[in-house]
Amino acid sequence: MSGTTDTMPEDALISVSSLKKYFPVTRGWLQRKVGEVKAVDDISFDIRRGETFGLVGESGSGKSTVARLILRAYMLTGGSIKFRRVDGSVTDLTDLSDRELRPIRREMQMIFQDPYSSLDPRMTLLDIVGEPLVIHGVGSRGEISDRVGELLGLVGLRPEYATRYPHAFSGGQRQRIGIARALALNPSFIAADEAVSALDVSVAAQNINLLQDLQEKFGLTYLFITHDLGMVEHISDRIGVMYVGRMVELGDTAEIFKKPLHPYTEALLSAVPQPDPRRRASGRRIVLKGEIADPANPPAGCAFHPRCPYATDLCKKEVPDLRPLGGRQVRCHHAEELDLAGVEA
Amino acid sequence: MSVNTTPMPPERLLQLDDVHVHFSMREGLVRAVNGVSYHVDRGEVLGIVGESGSGKSVTARAIMRLLSKNAIEAGGRIRFRPEPGKEVEISSLPRDGRQVRELRGGHIGMIFQEPMTALSPVHSIGTQIMRTVMLHRRVGKEAARARAIELLERVQLPKPTEMIERYPHQLSGGMRQRAMIALALSCDPALLIADEPTTALDVTTEAQILELLKSLQAEMGMAIVFITHNFGVVADIADRVAVMYLGRIAETGSVDDIFYQPKHPYTRALLQSIPRLGQAPVRRLKTIPGMVPDPFNAPAGCAFHPRCAYAVPGRCDTLVPEVSLFPGDQSARCHLAGELPEEAL
Repeated sequence: MSGTTDTMPEDALISVSSLKKYFPVTRGWLQRKVGEVKAVDDISFDIRRGETFGLVGESGSGKSTVARLILRAYMLTGGSIKFRRVDGSVTDLTDLSDRELRPIRREMQMIFQDPYSSLDPRMTLLDIVGEPLVIHGVGSRGEISDRVGELLGLVGLRPEYATRYPHAFSGGQRQRIGIARALALNPSFIAADEAVSALDVSVAAQNINLLQDLQEKFGLTYLFITHDLGMVEHISDRIGVMYVGRMVELGDTAEIFKKPLHPYTEALLSAVPQPDPRRRASGRRIVLKGEIADPANPPAGCAFHPRCPYATDLCKKEVPDLRPLGGRQVRCHHAEELDLAGVEA
Repeated sequence: MSVNTTPMPPERLLQLDDVHVHFSMREGLVRAVNGVSYHVDRGEVLGIVGESGSGKSVTARAIMRLLSKNAIEAGGRIRFRPEPGKEVEISSLPRDGRQVRELRGGHIGMIFQEPMTALSPVHSIGTQIMRTVMLHRRVGKEAARARAIELLERVQLPKPTEMIERYPHQLSGGMRQRAMIALALSCDPALLIADEPTTALDVTTEAQILELLKSLQAEMGMAIVFITHNFGVVADIADRVAVMYLGRIAETGSVDDIFYQPKHPYTRALLQSIPRLGQAPVRRLKTIPGMVPDPFNAPAGCAFHPRCAYAVPGRCDTLVPEVSLFPGDQSARCHLAGELPEEAL
């Protein structure tokens, strides 16, 4: 099979087009398929080289599934994923087998949310951080041990810690161990799924600074997934806002935060409690009606229409397309007419 | 240890004086709550903020006399005023005695981060509320049922008459939280203790629950002790704030004083480490060096001194600071409180 194509923007590291992932809903002991959950439905975006792309959304929006699809931890239901290799060639990851993916996986890594469950408690740091090197057959025992020491140093842990086990470390330190492991093979791309969400305020700030330092040092590209809008605004160059499997708005972070074009983005921004008592949310906060739509049974038309304060009959019937508007992309029938409020500086 | 014995002022609902709770563990003695004093007046919302291990939840459990078996209630006084002119010293009552059981649920309600820990999975929502009402109010089944429907309506759950038949697992996270609030409010408590009630929720659901709690609080005039690690949530809901660090109150004051005139270096540092929506882009977040020390080896002197930018050797590392008082009922446990240089927040 030919994995090489050239149809990808010059500055893109990853190009996702019409990405789909449907999970079957089964019933009974025969596992009869009775429906499907459209976890990711027709998502297209590029991640540019050296940038941090933030993916924002609430539970069930499909943001984590997108990351897993990009790393090809799941098979795609539809669409394609292209990745620019370190040597400049473009590889289509869509249909690659595990074996064909293996050399590419050196270049794409992931950091997880829960630093307690993502590290094997019976492995020392040397084994945990060195494991990718062993799997990819990089270096002798001595070389691996040196490299692990170096990696621990990079994330601000002492090289002597290599003989210890994860239980001896705090949540923030474990997160750093996960970062060291992700860096072991010199990747160009790292997907961070809620990487600082479980950490205390002061520790989250330390680890965010670390991720930014590493990005500068190694020219890394990040996909940063979070529900923390303050953090995403701080770290991301561009963001995509997802709602029930679909991208509803995509563009430059500062512009979106200043003036959102999609009513869901507006509601999300207004809902965030601000550490500023004089700007209490009450009054200006948009409290959405109802609950996030069930991705197994999404409403007809625009999935957001039952909760949208601006919905019209058109929104109940027709699914809006993601379309370009003012240098951004937005999936809303009424984006031009609406005058939505962003975050005041 | 001098315990405050002056009678509580008439507006006072709850008062903690020098409360100590220790845990005896294999690794040593943990002073989880190490001399905490705070008070809540009738109808006010006290926000308690702190990172993991600060003792904020343990203090709340001490109020409810719900500490685990290995906890040592090592001292202090907790007083509560269930009705005007009456004063109960909760800390001196037997923990499973009739009086404590009457207070719990009858005069003090409690809600948690994970409603499934508070709700019974095998009883319907209605049954659980009805039992509480029948137990504390000594009313019949019909009256209790009517009360349950009224409560579910009050917390804005849809179709309350059908909802009382539902079981917790049939509800979404946000709806469960509402059901738990209904249960906690079933006997019109004078005080609601809310322990991270919105932490596990999505932003838009969190906004709904915060607005609900605020409207219930205004309507019923109950006081709330709101425990959280999120400064945004505290700024949104609290009248007064107490900041906890390693088992002690570092600083307490009105919400405006805490956010705009913090007197303790820990409060300042925490506020500076949170990325805020719409703030001018900064390259790096400010951080607090190091991490929260492990509770078996709490530092001598001021527990925050190893991480404090202003620590004075010979003073902060040897002497536990006394509480310094400031105008407007603000106080800070810091040797340098009031002498710190002005800093932009």
